[in-house]
Amino acid sequence: MSAVLSQASQGNAHGGKGAIRIEHVDKVYEAKSGPVQAVSDCSLDIRAGEICMIVGPSGCGKTTLLNAIAGFHDITGGAIYLDGQMLCGPDRPKADPGPDRVVVFQNGALFPWKTNLENVAFGPVVQGKLSKAQAAEKARGLMADAGLAGVEHNYPGEVSSGMRRRVEIVRALMNDPKVLLLDEPFRALDQLTKSVMHEALLEIYYKNKVTIFFITHDLEEAIFLGHRVAIMTTRPCRPKKILEVDIPHPRDYAVLTSPRFRELMEETVSAVHEEAVKAFEAGEKEM
Amino acid sequence: MNPKIKPVGLARPRKELVELLRGTVLFSGLSPALIEKVADIAVLERAQKDAVLYRVDDPARDLYVVVAGQVNHAHGPATQARVLTKTMQPGDVFGWAALIKAPARRFATVTMLADTELLRISGAELMQALASDPEAARDVLARCAKMIVEDFTVPAWLAQVQDVPAGKGGSPMVQRQAAAGEIGAWEMFAYRLSKWAKSPTPYLMLVGFVLFFGAWYLLSEVFKVWRFASLPGPKTVLLEWFNPNPTYGMSLYTPDYYVHIWSSIRRVLYAFLISTGLGVPFGLFLGWSKNFREFTFPVFETLRPIPVLAWVPLAIVMFKGQESPVIFLTTLASFYATALNTMLGVQSIDESYPRAAACLGASKWQIFRHIVIPGALPFIFTGLQISVGVAWFSLVAGEMVSGEYGLGYLILASYVNVQYVVIIIGMVSVGVVGYVSSALVRLAGDYMMQWRVRELALGGGR
Repeated sequence: MSAVLSQASQGNAHGGKGAIRIEHVDKVYEAKSGPVQAVSDCSLDIRAGEICMIVGPSGCGKTTLLNAIAGFHDITGGAIYLDGQMLCGPDRPKADPGPDRVVVFQNGALFPWKTNLENVAFGPVVQGKLSKAQAAEKARGLMADAGLAGVEHNYPGEVSSGMRRRVEIVRALMNDPKVLLLDEPFRALDQLTKSVMHEALLEIYYKNKVTIFFITHDLEEAIFLGHRVAIMTTRPCRPKKILEVDIPHPRDYAVLTSPRFRELMEETVSAVHEEAVKAFEAGEKEM
Repeated sequence: MNPKIKPVGLARPRKELVELLRGTVLFSGLSPALIEKVADIAVLERAQKDAVLYRVDDPARDLYVVVAGQVNHAHGPATQARVLTKTMQPGDVFGWAALIKAPARRFATVTMLADTELLRISGAELMQALASDPEAARDVLARCAKMIVEDFTVPAWLAQVQDVPAGKGGSPMVQRQAAAGEIGAWEMFAYRLSKWAKSPTPYLMLVGFVLFFGAWYLLSEVFKVWRFASLPGPKTVLLEWFNPNPTYGMSLYTPDYYVHIWSSIRRVLYAFLISTGLGVPFGLFLGWSKNFREFTFPVFETLRPIPVLAWVPLAIVMFKGQESPVIFLTTLASFYATALNTMLGVQSIDESYPRAAACLGASKWQIFRHIVIPGALPFIFTGLQISVGVAWFSLVAGEMVSGEYGLGYLILASYVNVQYVVIIIGMVSVGVVGYVSSALVRLAGDYMMQWRVRELALGGGR
């Protein structure tokens, strides 16, 4: 069954697809109290096939950035490119959402009225790429690879939250996306489930080598998973510091206790704390 | 043959395996000689972590005992099991589908959580080995049935174990036979009914009715409390209702009674179908399209508070005949309830669902069909339940004004003729028929929203 996974990933593994270039992006919201600058002059290069972690305090505008890449709303300045092609920019403020950039949502967005299998098969079926039977076949294979055999015919509400997250990630991978956009996907999970999910995500990543844009406010999670960690300033959002995590992949949980990991934590924790204090004092509401 | 699962012969001393078998739920009652027999046919196998032993609907031939390691046992949806996944530890028995009546198909998918050793016991060989001792066979099968119901939480009617093998004096041990695959609607109903009868629900309901009728009886017929004295008591009403020669010409024995009920049911049915057919799509568009909402909702909200009774004169002028004005009046209030709830249902859908669907490549129409409609269903059915109730009370209002049959007409006519007992018969009839109709709507809702029923069941909600 893993043949399905590796076959699906071939395009991502060699072609260097999935590079995101964020150039001087601005985003101003029209709130009731007046315009709010959520993102200002934000530039960031995400290499194809890397795990890029975006860290910042709650409400700093990192989700705004993700929504702009995904095409959920427009930007008011700058441009975003995927593999050199403009997603949104001066002439086209809003990108079209599409299966090349699939989002995994903060609170989970599996459709509760579809079974886990129907959820996973959804993408290729609505795109008309696969028949229902073909999609179910492929979905079953991917689910088995992710340790989800046996829950295909359950509804999402019947399985644990950790399993739901895994189903959602598999649902995204069904579309052979270039980029996975993860918006604090493990936020609601307890610490133990979270650690299991981290390893599960890495396992999936090693098989697929898809570019991962991962938002979190958990520095430990960021350094453990990421090739690079971008620490963002509080609103308006832009990179304050970019950390290269030089701990070699593949990683496992032993990394957390290694001296290098501690060093990297110490190097960055003050920068994150500074922004958190600023955000707290500004009393910004999370968006 | 699955390459991840291999027989390993005599990897463990036989004595250890016999001990293990003796400790299982299934075989703990067997004599030492029979345990030896079972051990003879058991095959020790080793399975790698993540190997899938079998899947739902695979043919079921063997029974398994966990020797070492850990196994995940996940029921398919057809089992109706309360607990869906179970982790099997050393000493646990699974694969009971091998011992049920034909056609034996797997009810679950079994996956190894670790490198695991299993004892595989062929169901057919086991039955043969036990054939010499029907008493022991009966014991094993009874234990198996108990295990299926208690440990695997599968309803008993669904997985009937086999009969005792044809030895001397082997009597069938299970009275009712049921095919393992198909679940009859009647059996499902009977199962639910027996469950219901065992719960406190029906008795509490009974207590409620007894208190209500008791109070009514005492107030009106025994103590004749001020004001209640002129009210017919429940005894009077019941006597009249069940009277073959009713004093006022209306009882369960008079055909006219059923004509009234049927005319009312027919009108409510038409009204309900029309209001649902118009209200649901209207509500969906109200919720879905901001433009549509902005130009229709204010008009809608202005019309909504106008009471049904105020429409009566216009209804009579606008619609011809006896039936259509009444149906129009009945439809009106139902339509508002359905449309408003449907709109709220669409608005209640979490923003991330349509976004996720768009990400996965769904078109606008596909989002409407796969996200908006099912997402709004819980609210739609709340609306429909309100709508059917509202239909009944606006129907009675409509029938009081127009029409020559129907429960509303009956109530008004009895008032004019000073037949208070008949008024109460009419009222109680509306109550009963109304209760049944909203129960039917609820049932339809549960049928269409299995996902919700199962989610609520797991949440422990009653």
